[in-house]
Amino acid sequence: MSHDPFDTQAAAYALGALDGEELAQFEAHLGQSCARCEATLRDSRQALAALARETPAAAPPPQVKEALLGRMAATGPAPRRRDDLRAAWLRWTIATVAAMIVGGFLAGMYVAARYEARLGKLARETSALRGEEAGLRERVALYQGVVELLRDPATRVIALRGAGPSPEARGRVIWHETAGGHVFVAKLPPASPGKTYELWTITRGKPSPAGVFQVDGSGQASQKVAPVGGRVDVFAVTLEPAGGVPAPTGPIVLASSKE
Amino acid sequence: MSSAGADLIRNMAAGDRDAFSPFYDRYAPLVYPLILRIVRERADAADVLQEVFWEAWQSASTYDPGRGTPEAWIVTRARTRAIDRVRSIRRRNERFGAPLEEALAAPPGMGGDAAQRAADRSVIRSALDRLADVQREVIELAYYGGLTQTEIAERLQQPLGTVKTRIRSGLERLREITRQQAT
Repeated sequence: MSHDPFDTQAAAYALGALDGEELAQFEAHLGQSCARCEATLRDSRQALAALARETPAAAPPPQVKEALLGRMAATGPAPRRRDDLRAAWLRWTIATVAAMIVGGFLAGMYVAARYEARLGKLARETSALRGEEAGLRERVALYQGVVELLRDPATRVIALRGAGPSPEARGRVIWHETAGGHVFVAKLPPASPGKTYELWTITRGKPSPAGVFQVDGSGQASQKVAPVGGRVDVFAVTLEPAGGVPAPTGPIVLASSKE
Repeated sequence: MSSAGADLIRNMAAGDRDAFSPFYDRYAPLVYPLILRIVRERADAADVLQEVFWEAWQSASTYDPGRGTPEAWIVTRARTRAIDRVRSIRRRNERFGAPLEEALAAPPGMGGDAAQRAADRSVIRSALDRLADVQREVIELAYYGGLTQTEIAERLQQPLGTVKTRIRSGLERLREITRQQAT
């Protein structure tokens, strides 16, 4: 048999692309110590290794080295054995199993601790992202609602001015008589402990509760307001005991002017 | 010729743990980008990197300087493990096209300064760029995509014999380029 097919197979073998019957055939040939194929393989692997340098740089994650040093510390010195490149996977498995038995609890616990830490970190990151996503969804829904309201010519935008303890506070109510609306406030100081802000719709002098809210660290808040089934003369915000009350008791902090 | 890398492997084979750290520092920055390029996912790449170096530590005594440089030894191991990994991922996902397209596309931001990389490339022109297109194509499909010659033939809809010939001639050319660079 001519050597030519083996030259072709050696190239594919070096690339890891030889498969099927040809792979078995070539390995049998290599088993007969063909110096020519060994030289081809050596030079091909050298050339292919040089390609690794053409890959854009990326820094190896530092925890890999730590894990390896930990594994070494847990499993003792490297065993000496003869190598057969093709049996590498099997050898690795046997070595790992043996190391696990020898290193016993030490190795097991070390690996478990590492993975647990990683899993815990991943779980925390995932739940943080979920929370963030839920927050974003809520905001998008809010903005969509507002945009839809603003498209309707019957929607009004009513200004709220600061009063009493917070003269510089400002607010806007986007209001549609049948659809309800949203209130946005700014520059309102955070409510003191045990207190909350409460929105009121006042019709013909009679206030009705329209929801409680808190402001964020920058003094802002936004809140959906349900329709009241008729016209509203004045919107007002008061400072009330936490949980809100059925009729206003505290000072007015924001109010619209009567129309 | 005995290199610093070969000395480190010899000491590792003697069970010298102190040799492992410099060995890792020397070769991990070379093989990690390649592993990442092949497996794509950083978590998978980190696993494969650990597997490769653990295996290198375990079988340091089998390294034969007559059969190749330490660089070729570790890169071959890294490619083999990375390709094992993508093949098993592919079998699991049973979706073949998309990840492969990604694997062969220009790599995403992998760190490093783009202008610097461009400058490096202009100095050392890519060996792959110096191959004929048909040669480069089959070698990239195997090298980065982990395809076998039969899979490449199916994918390119070319006769298997044509693919084999391109692989052989492509590698001949690559060996020639490496020899030129060495001298």
